[in-house]
Amino acid sequence: MMDDDCRRLAGRLTSYADEGLPAAERAELENHLNRCAPCRTDAHREMGARQVLRNQARALTDSPLPPGLRTRCEALAREHAAAAVPRGFAVRRFASVTAVVTLVMGFFLFSLATHQSDTVLAAQLTADHAKCFRLFAHGDSPDKDAHALEQMLEDKYGWDLRVPPSSVADDIHLIGARLCLYADGALPHVMYRVGGHDVSLYVLDGVTRAAADLVSLGHRSRIWTAGRRTYVLVWPIAAGDISAATRYVMAEAR
Amino acid sequence: MFRGREGDPADTVAARAMEFLEPLYATALRLTRNPADAEDLVQDTFVKALRFSDRFAAGSNLKAWLYTILLNTWRNRRRDAARNVVDVDTARVEAAEAATDGPAALETPEQILLRASVREDLQAALDELPEVFREAVWLRDVEEFTYAEIAEMLGIPIGTVMSRISRGRRMLFDRLNTASGHVGAEGRLTR
Repeated sequence: MMDDDCRRLAGRLTSYADEGLPAAERAELENHLNRCAPCRTDAHREMGARQVLRNQARALTDSPLPPGLRTRCEALAREHAAAAVPRGFAVRRFASVTAVVTLVMGFFLFSLATHQSDTVLAAQLTADHAKCFRLFAHGDSPDKDAHALEQMLEDKYGWDLRVPPSSVADDIHLIGARLCLYADGALPHVMYRVGGHDVSLYVLDGVTRAAADLVSLGHRSRIWTAGRRTYVLVWPIAAGDISAATRYVMAEAR
Repeated sequence: MFRGREGDPADTVAARAMEFLEPLYATALRLTRNPADAEDLVQDTFVKALRFSDRFAAGSNLKAWLYTILLNTWRNRRRDAARNVVDVDTARVEAAEAATDGPAALETPEQILLRASVREDLQAALDELPEVFREAVWLRDVEEFTYAEIAEMLGIPIGTVMSRISRGRRMLFDRLNTASGHVGAEGRLTR
């Protein structure tokens, strides 16, 4: 039967199990436990679970990383490092040049930053592309209905998006769509197969960027803007010339 | 192997974060209970860590900072995706637990550890715990974070952390006993 002592001392059991209770409080609690069977049982349960967990901690965390995860993270880190603006560079330059040169430098740095931003964006989306196809697509993934995917994206995430459907003429097959994480937040990721190769379309809402073509992590990225949206198409270099498919997606996406 | 350039905070965070991929993945596995979702979560955590590396205070606990990102990312993902997860009604769980005194007889931890299936039993028992208790117990007893670190990661008071650890441990121990169907001696202190 729980009495006032039980209620007062129950909050100490966790610290007691973790061996973090001051000596006087520990002595008082142990004195109570020796007299109170229900509290003794609670202490046994808490300390027992802790002992089993700590004994098995190494076994519980001995989970080999999935193939490719470390490689992708290393590649992301390399791209991030390569894209970093050298610190202190701008400050030293601006302090020693005339206003005219400052303007020129400002334009130069702005251009550099924009380019670097594209590079990081391409690397992140390429890593995401590789991960998603490895985890969520299969070699025999059937074509999906574009309207059903549009409805799913709207229902689940509130995205009003036109998903370019499969096109037999352009050998492009729509196989799925999902939410992916870009550093600035979540965004739609539409997945295609073109000539047996994995191709991704990402849509950044409310973002405009200059058109760009980049190469990152063995993949090509094409960035373009239409309206208030920026689109990024990612495909492996090994896919060769898929210009018919890229033209089709660029025309259909909106 | 990636090596960061010395002196650049982003590179230092990136290089050091690589050392924590395995524990992050193990934790992601326990949170998601699904290898594909766990891999997805860890990569997204790494992307965010790179993105926000300038916010990491040099000299502070990088592991705790990465776990905070992992836990927030998982929580946001569940919310955004509106997955079919029912939030734990803590009061209901606590009431249900209070209604029982646990098993009438308990194994000792030593007896549990002698089982050939201890790891599998433990994983199953952890996976059955309501998420708020599972993450608190995992962070404390497997990853050995302090109460204060866990409180900061989860954005809850230290008292709540301790309460969740306490209830999580008791439920876990009861499940381990249930898994064995063992009837042993009356609960007693083993320290």
